[in-house]
Formats: sequence, structure tokens, C-alpha cells
Amino acid sequence: MINDEPDARDLVAIALSSFRDSILPLVPAEQRFTALMIANALATAERELAAGDKAEPALAAAVGGLIGEEGALSVPLAVLVPRLCAAIADGRFDAAGPQAALRRVLFDLTRARLAVSNPKLLAAGR
Amino acid sequence: MSGAPFLDDARKAALEPWLAAQAGARRVSVTDEGRLSGGAISLNLAVTLEIDGGPLTGRHACVLRTGSASGVSASLDKAEEAAVLKLAFATGATVPEPLFVGADPALLGAPFYIMTRARGVAAGFRVVKTAEPQRELARELGRQLGRIHRVRPGAPGLEFLPLPAPSPALQCVADYRRWMGRFAETDPVLALGLRWLTVNAPEPGELVLCHRDYRTGNYMVEDGRLTAIIDWEFAGWSDPMEDLAWFCAACWRFGRYDREAGGIADRADLYAGYEETAERRVDERAVAYWETAAYLRWATVALQQGMRHSSGTEPSLELALTGRMLPEIELDLLRHLDSIAADWTGVGKP
Repeated sequence: MINDEPDARDLVAIALSSFRDSILPLVPAEQRFTALMIANALATAERELAAGDKAEPALAAAVGGLIGEEGALSVPLAVLVPRLCAAIADGRFDAAGPQAALRRVLFDLTRARLAVSNPKLLAAGR
Repeated sequence: MSGAPFLDDARKAALEPWLAAQAGARRVSVTDEGRLSGGAISLNLAVTLEIDGGPLTGRHACVLRTGSASGVSASLDKAEEAAVLKLAFATGATVPEPLFVGADPALLGAPFYIMTRARGVAAGFRVVKTAEPQRELARELGRQLGRIHRVRPGAPGLEFLPLPAPSPALQCVADYRRWMGRFAETDPVLALGLRWLTVNAPEPGELVLCHRDYRTGNYMVEDGRLTAIIDWEFAGWSDPMEDLAWFCAACWRFGRYDREAGGIADRADLYAGYEETAERRVDERAVAYWETAAYLRWATVALQQGMRHSSGTEPSLELALTGRMLPEIELDLLRHLDSIAADWTGVGKP
């Protein structure tokens, strides 16, 4: 398939900045909540497109390490994560030490998602 | 939300004579003053009743609350909710008085009830916006909860509320797992939360009437004083510490993370008020357990809201964005588990 320029990320970004600059100031008060939600949704989509899967290899390595599959570099995160869930449900992280190690990886996974959905909260240390 | 008035001519023609009969009045007329904010589930309508004759004769500022029971998290239908509210009112708790209950869906399309209208604001971000902590308000909310928790299984009129089995904690784990669907197998933070709640579940203790959405945003305040505890649609029998934990969970502090009791004051203020009226001590370890449950519960609600959109049954930008709140709820859960890890050596029993 031919990838036309500007790409999806670019289109969402320019749509969002145009919306913020030209439309949002004119939106009447009773529509403002919806308008802010539209800006929020576009900003999230833009960050998701910008982030792509850059963080995946490091997260996959960390998850693989937890479940003893660190050698399998080619196994994608989406395959490893359900295996991690099954290992948690089986009690493999019940003991204090393994559970602390698990939490560290889950913090990283969750912060990576929060960087897309709500980076302000992440910056605020929440 | 705008649009046509809910009480159109047909609904008024059904409602007014029914109300007159209920009130023992010659005539009742109802004015629709528009929708009040609140809840992705319920419709709250400001109405004024003009009652001519009978014991309630006069003008009454009220709220008509309706909306069918949603698929979300075992909410009560409105007639059931009114039954809970009646008992809460009878304990002397500061709640709206339910005046008329329309259980027959033929009347307005779904069960509804009409209650007295309290004054003040409920919006969480406004309630927490004070320079000084609101210690007396937190204490009063503790006292109120203590009174509500005096209602026990067997109370007349609440036979429809299911008893948790085998314990409130394990019932919650089973409910959350069911509500999450496939996400319990694909989201490791949720998987950890469910496992933690299972391994650490307390023995069954006493059951009380829990509000189950007792938090900033669900009570009304005027001039710093409590005017009403609202939104009773999730009420049920549970462990009394569940309500205290829900109140204190980080997600209901509206940015005032330093005020751990609902963004308004310290936990100690809430707990002190609770112990004045509840006839039981606050068990902080149990509260910590139920705070884990609180994050899981809120995560399942956010998931369900998102799925209402994603499944195509109810396309909505607000529901879609609620679904994307999951990472922040999960981060709160992880922080909580991290902060209490040293006290829960039960995890890792050989």
C-alpha cells in the first residue's frame, strides 16, 4: 500500500491545533464540555500514533524476564502479556519478592499507557 | 444534555392523576424544570409538584429520578433504590426523602421515584475546592455512614438485595472477574488485583447496608454543610469497611491527593465521625484490603463504560474517554499495593 503524506498522525495533529485555535474559542458554553472532550480524544489519538511501538521491545524484554522467556526476543508483547496474566492467576507471583518485581514491570507498562492517555497526570507524579 | 422535555403531555397525563391518588389529593400538577446533571445511568429531573389537598398539600421542589437498570455493575432499578433510600431516611441519615415510588414501568416507561430536592452542589471538583481542609464535613460524613451501616440484613423491604456468598470479598472478586470479561486474561494489572484480592480475602464478617458509591461527588454541600447523600443505585449488603475505603480511594480526591478522605480532610476525621455512630471500630487493615477492591471496582466500571461505546450499543465520546481512564486507575492500584506491601506478608504464604 502506498503511504500518502501527510500521514495519519500529521492529519490528527493539524486537525487538533486548528480545532483549538479556530473553533474552541467560539464554542458556546453549553457545548464546551463536548468540545473539550473532542480535543482530548484527538490529543490522545495523536500521542498514540506518535508513540507507535517504540516502547515495545523494552517492555517485552521485561515481561519476558518475569515469565522466563527472556530468550524469545521475537515474541511480541501482545503474546507475552496474556502469558503473564496466566502466571499471575496461577500464583507464580504470590511471594513478596516476585510480587515486588512484578509491580516494577507493571508500573512501567502502565506508565507507558498513561503517557498516551493522560501525560499531565504522569508529569504531576500521579 | 438538552432536547425535548422528559415530561411531555402524554407522560404528564399519566403521572398527575396517579400522583393525586398516591397523595390523597384532589389534584396534582407537575412542572418539568429540566434535567439535572449526574450519572451516565440515571435521569434526574427537577420538578415542582403543586399538590392540592391531602396531607402534602402545597408546593414541593422535588427530583424525579428514573432510568432503567443498566448493565453496569449490578445497579438497582429505581423502585429498589427508593426502598433503600426509605430505610436510609428512617435511620435519620441526611438523604432526600422519597415521597412517591412508581414501580410500574407502564407509567413513565421505567420505574421512577420522586424525592425532595436538596440544595447545594455535588460536583467533586467544586466540593474539594477550599483553602482549608473541611474537617467537620468529613466527620459528619463519617457519622452518617455509621448510621447507614446500622441497617442489617432482614430489614423489612430490602429482601430483593442479594446476600454475598461465600463472603463479601470473594463475591466482589467473582463479580469483578465476570464484569471484566476477557480483560482479566489480557491486562496484567487487573490480573494482579484479582489475585491479590483472592489470596488476601478476609474471613466473612458482619454484613451491613453499604451505599457502595459513597464518595465526594455523591453528596451535596451548601455553605460547607452536608445537605444530602445521593446516588444509591449500587447499594447492597457488604463489609462495612468497603464504604470507608471507597470514600478514601485516590480516584475520588479530585486532585486533592493530600486530603485522603475524599479530597476534603484526613482519614482520621472521617474515621472519628464513623466511630461515633457505627458502634464498631474502623479496621484500617480491612480498609486497605477494600481500597484494593475499590480500584478494581472502578477499573471494571470504566471498562464497562468504554465497552458500551466500543461494542457499538451506545456510541458516545464520554463513554469512550472513560474507557481510556483505565491506566490512571491501574496506576493508583499499583501505588496502593506498593504502599501496603510490607503489611501484607500473607501474600507469599509458603
